[in-house]
Amino acid sequence: MTSFSYYSHHEHPRPLAVEGGIEARSRRGAIGETWWSRRFIELLESFGVGSRLKRGRNYARAGQVIELEIEPGVVLAKVQGSRYSPYRVRIRGKVLSEYQWRRIEKAMAAQALALAKLLAGDMPHDVEELFAACKLTLFPRSKRELTTSCTCPDAENPCKHVAAAYYILAERFDEDPFLIFAWRGRDQDELVERLRARRAAGGRGGGSSARSARVPQPSEPGPPLSAVLESFWSSGPELDAVHVSPLAGEAPDALLRQLGPAPVEAGGRNLAELLAPAYATLAQAAERRALAE
Amino acid sequence: MMMSVIALHAVWSRDSRLCVWGEDSRLPARAPKRRGRRPAKPRPRAHPFASALEDLGEGLDALGVSLGSDAQIERELSLMLPSFEDGPQHSPQLLRGGEDRRTDNPELLHPWVVPAIGLGPAAALELLLALPPSPPAGVGLGDSLRFLAEAGKLALELVARGRVLPGLARRDEGWVACWRPVTVDPGDAERVRLLVAAMPPLARAELSVNEEGNAPEAVVGDALGGVVDACARGFLADGLPGRAPRRRSKRPRVVVDAWLAALTHPDPVVDADELQLAALAEELEVWRRAGERYADHRMFRTCFRLCEPDGPVGWPGGELQAAPGGGNGANPQPDSPAAEGSASDVAPWRVEILLQAKDDPSVLVPAGDVWSSNGSGLKALGRRIADPQERLLGGLGHALRLWPELEPALRESAPTGLDLTPEAVIGFLRDAAPALEQAGFGVLAPPWWSQRLRLKLKMEPFEELQEGSGLFGLEGLCAYEWRIAVGEATLTLSELRELAALKLPLVMARGRWIVLRPEDVEAAIAFFESRAERGEAPAGELLRESLDLGAGAETELPVAEIEAGGWLKELLGTNGDRKLREVPSPATFKGELRPYQQRGLAWLSFLSSLGLGACLADDMGLGKTVQLLALLLAEREDGRNGSEKRCPPTLLICPMSVAGNWQREAERFAPDLRVHVHHGPERLTGTKFARASRASDLVITTYALATRDRETLGAVKWERVALDEAQNIKTIDAKQTRAIRSLGARHRVALTGTPVENRLTELHSIMDFLNPGLLGPAATFKRSYARPIERYRDEHATARLRRATGPFILRRLKTDREIITDLPEKIEMRVDCHLTKEQASLYQAVVEEMLEKAAQAEGIERSGVILAALMKLKQVCNHPAHLLKDRSGLDGRSGKLARLEEILAEALAEGDRVLCFTQFAEFGQMLRAHLQERLGREVMFLHGGTPKTARDEMVEQFQDGGGPSVFILSLKAGGTGLNLTAANHVVHFDRWWNPAVEDQATDRAFRIGQKKNVQVRKLTCMGTLEERIDALITQKKDLAERIVGTGEAWITELDTAQLRELVTLSADAVGE
Repeated sequence: MTSFSYYSHHEHPRPLAVEGGIEARSRRGAIGETWWSRRFIELLESFGVGSRLKRGRNYARAGQVIELEIEPGVVLAKVQGSRYSPYRVRIRGKVLSEYQWRRIEKAMAAQALALAKLLAGDMPHDVEELFAACKLTLFPRSKRELTTSCTCPDAENPCKHVAAAYYILAERFDEDPFLIFAWRGRDQDELVERLRARRAAGGRGGGSSARSARVPQPSEPGPPLSAVLESFWSSGPELDAVHVSPLAGEAPDALLRQLGPAPVEAGGRNLAELLAPAYATLAQAAERRALAE
Repeated sequence: MMMSVIALHAVWSRDSRLCVWGEDSRLPARAPKRRGRRPAKPRPRAHPFASALEDLGEGLDALGVSLGSDAQIERELSLMLPSFEDGPQHSPQLLRGGEDRRTDNPELLHPWVVPAIGLGPAAALELLLALPPSPPAGVGLGDSLRFLAEAGKLALELVARGRVLPGLARRDEGWVACWRPVTVDPGDAERVRLLVAAMPPLARAELSVNEEGNAPEAVVGDALGGVVDACARGFLADGLPGRAPRRRSKRPRVVVDAWLAALTHPDPVVDADELQLAALAEELEVWRRAGERYADHRMFRTCFRLCEPDGPVGWPGGELQAAPGGGNGANPQPDSPAAEGSASDVAPWRVEILLQAKDDPSVLVPAGDVWSSNGSGLKALGRRIADPQERLLGGLGHALRLWPELEPALRESAPTGLDLTPEAVIGFLRDAAPALEQAGFGVLAPPWWSQRLRLKLKMEPFEELQEGSGLFGLEGLCAYEWRIAVGEATLTLSELRELAALKLPLVMARGRWIVLRPEDVEAAIAFFESRAERGEAPAGELLRESLDLGAGAETELPVAEIEAGGWLKELLGTNGDRKLREVPSPATFKGELRPYQQRGLAWLSFLSSLGLGACLADDMGLGKTVQLLALLLAEREDGRNGSEKRCPPTLLICPMSVAGNWQREAERFAPDLRVHVHHGPERLTGTKFARASRASDLVITTYALATRDRETLGAVKWERVALDEAQNIKTIDAKQTRAIRSLGARHRVALTGTPVENRLTELHSIMDFLNPGLLGPAATFKRSYARPIERYRDEHATARLRRATGPFILRRLKTDREIITDLPEKIEMRVDCHLTKEQASLYQAVVEEMLEKAAQAEGIERSGVILAALMKLKQVCNHPAHLLKDRSGLDGRSGKLARLEEILAEALAEGDRVLCFTQFAEFGQMLRAHLQERLGREVMFLHGGTPKTARDEMVEQFQDGGGPSVFILSLKAGGTGLNLTAANHVVHFDRWWNPAVEDQATDRAFRIGQKKNVQVRKLTCMGTLEERIDALITQKKDLAERIVGTGEAWITELDTAQLRELVTLSADAVGE
């Protein structure tokens, strides 16, 4: 890993390198891909933390954040600084009251759209409107609703460690918008279940978790060759069940549309938009190739 | 020359190359002995019988794959292979004979080094697409190649469907831009799973860190990835559409531009700032993962079903009418009562939301049921759906991205569907539905959505077929009418114009919905611009036109249906519903035609009367010969009844080996036919030939002579050219095929038991001989039929081809009980063989020696001389090597052996089993070794020395169905007592002069338990003592029984003159 720094050694001692830390995915420019995580970063930026913000971002990219846990009302993080033991960062936010949550839930249950988008990994703008209608906000409104602390000797708060944790938090929100809800006091399981109960009006609540764990499946090593010597040369009967028909699809750019806009732009155009005509070319060419000599 | 026998295999190596290697049966089976103990971690050794690189190249050439030399590199490959102590196991595809064939199980896994040709992904795809369905003789195709071919085709399909994404990866050579397959769709994921499960272990056997094989998923992933990248890169070689091509020499300032340029350039390496590249790679990865989020492997998916309004009952307006509500704005007559009235009166279109079982699309749960269910689970038709509400909601959330118009429906708390205007219906069906389907959603559209405009041709011949020789056939005029067909309904052109004038995508006509795609309407109107809707035209012209359409340009409407009257209906009907005019068995036919042969005669006669070429493709043994002979007789009897005009002769072209058979069958079944054989050095030429032909009914010649004497043959006006074993013209541009096609005739017939041996183009060549031009040129045929069917098992193309060729092919199978009701029976035939020159000179030498010795000897000594010589003559007839016992190769030196190989090949292709008897044990052994190699399968041999237990085991194995299909038996050891009913072919390779002994042997297969017809063939060398003794036996049966009953001793009692007559070689003994 190449280390890089924009600052001099005198002012800022170099942090200890971390292996296996949580690295920010974003390598340049702003962190936070979606409007909701950007909204969150904007909040941080509004605190007027100046150069610490930039250093925090570099910390995040270098993987200095070792741990980050989201609990109702508080985010706990460990950030590796220049000292041997990592600093502890806390970001406290306001948990909504039970009464406030019920109002939100009632509004959310009244239309399927909000939860549908959330379950699809999107944070609908409607959610903000929905909170506003209840005279509440999903994101902390101002500095006053947020308290941050860090065990570092830095006098300034928020320090660069807090800023680093902030960036990683924003990326977490990108991946799973339900986490914002969890921070504000309702985790996904609970929210989903309560909405379910409201929807079924009088239906029984309870039941299993609605969260679908995305477990990455490691590549199976396959049976040892020495155990399959008898069928060594032969393919299995499954091969006959593989039917292939390489005709151009009716919607060759469906995948691009399904993915939505890419976090990459070129010449002022989004990558998805830029690639769409190429997919039509690919489809036609592949069909021709499939039937050619 | 020994047959070259190479088995080709392949692995997809980790550097993304298809590495082809092979085994060669000409090389020794065993590796040199290793000294000392086996080490714990053995080092790779040179594979003893791996093909040399030049032989690999030849093997690929034989497959018809020509690869540019720049596409391949030579390399060495280390493979873990099942092995014995003294060498690697050979693959089942390698044809190994004799002692080198090992059947015991290997116990070791050992690394071996083989030479290989490494192909880059693009060249690899070329090879994989070109693999023939069945390989040519001498080349075996390992399963590893077939497996990788399926993976390659799947990769190509992923590109065709746009299931690929560009990415950026860190490799040894630096950062590379690459295209990656996306297989998260349930259908794609399932096929990847099937490929992983079906992978032959060999495909993972390239030696890597793990000696126990590479991970199957990684192998499939590498192969898919390699082909996808090569295809996408190649197809976009001109750069991304809509972007100015960028010069690579200049390092672009923006990292994204550098990456985009590398995506379409042969060199994938991206030269840019390291950190920026790393950042871009991660951003792309995040984007890619968005596609996986929805891909889950649970049982149910979100599904959309389009429902029609409640129906057109009571609608104002006439027969033809626009969709309800469609008049608003789009209708040129907004005030028309039809449009106005329907908008408010009729229920709107609706898309229902449902959950659908992935494995059974008929299991549907309406959204209403989901909302009212217990939230944690729902039971539908015995299946449990976990978290049905969130399942559905999550699906709807994803669907929004593809179909934003869905949003209003989701403003409800428990949405069950969405109402649509007709315009929105079309938008949904045309844009959203395919995208949703591609993304793995269920979409249920009404059946009319997929009904495109088609053409329908109605043809009615003016004249009925006339009795006798009224031959108008395809020249005959028909009244025709073209209609436009949509599903079950038909429209005239003016009706279509009327509907199209509404400028609506969805219209109602004759009580059903019709989707008017602008391209279809244009194609229909364009079609009629060049043609009258109705009129008169020759039947052949119409048929050709209707078959060409739909196989041609994409802009043309295909012909969905031909409705024919009169004789055309019989022509276009299928075997079952064809009602042909019966043709009575010709009075001059000696013998009895079976019912199916009667039908064959009627069919041949029908097509002949139309002047249409016919391919009689009955299974072997069903009597194609007699059906053709009966046709010849029938048309001559017809001629006698009617006009005085004599029917011109038929030219029959057949392989040399069956020419004699034709002659004899004609003598036996149709003695009234005047047969002229055009063959041998004394054959007639020029006008003499023409005169002789005109004086004949049937002229028999061979394929070789048809080419050589083309001028002579072409000078005669033939009634018919008939080909036996028509697969001889399977190559359309071969010299022989061209010569035969150029022979003029009123009618053409092809007889063959195997119309397609390897490639569909063979069928095209035969059909093009029969009815020139009907299936279009070879290139079009390949594109429209051969490749879709052979490469992708395309059902539509298969159905189209069947429709196009069906009228001209009659094929009945032995296994069809409907066709042959009097099963089983024994069909005996003498199969005449020729001597090779080598055999003939050996034969002559033995005869001369015998006659000389016999003249000088007397009594027992004389008998001994004669019996010894008879034995030698039989051996010569079998094979020169049988007499010489010099262990020389068997290939191409014996007419009998060549004939046997043909018989076996045909029988094995049908999946039949064969008994082959010989009276010589030592020859049986030679035969076995040769056939194993030639056929590439195990052949069993039972003789007097076979121990009892081994004998029982062989019989059991043979009867079991899983064992070898060819069983050689010595007549003495196998002629009695065994039950071998699994065989339905019996071949007597050499003759025993007592028919009873032969019958007894035949009865090993023809006995209780036999379920099929048994075909018995007795191979007999023409012009030798074999033929003469056979003639004695059959012509004078009673005498034969008397004299032959005692064995061969009677021959020794003949005087020298009689003996000379019996054994002398006649001039026709030697083949060409």
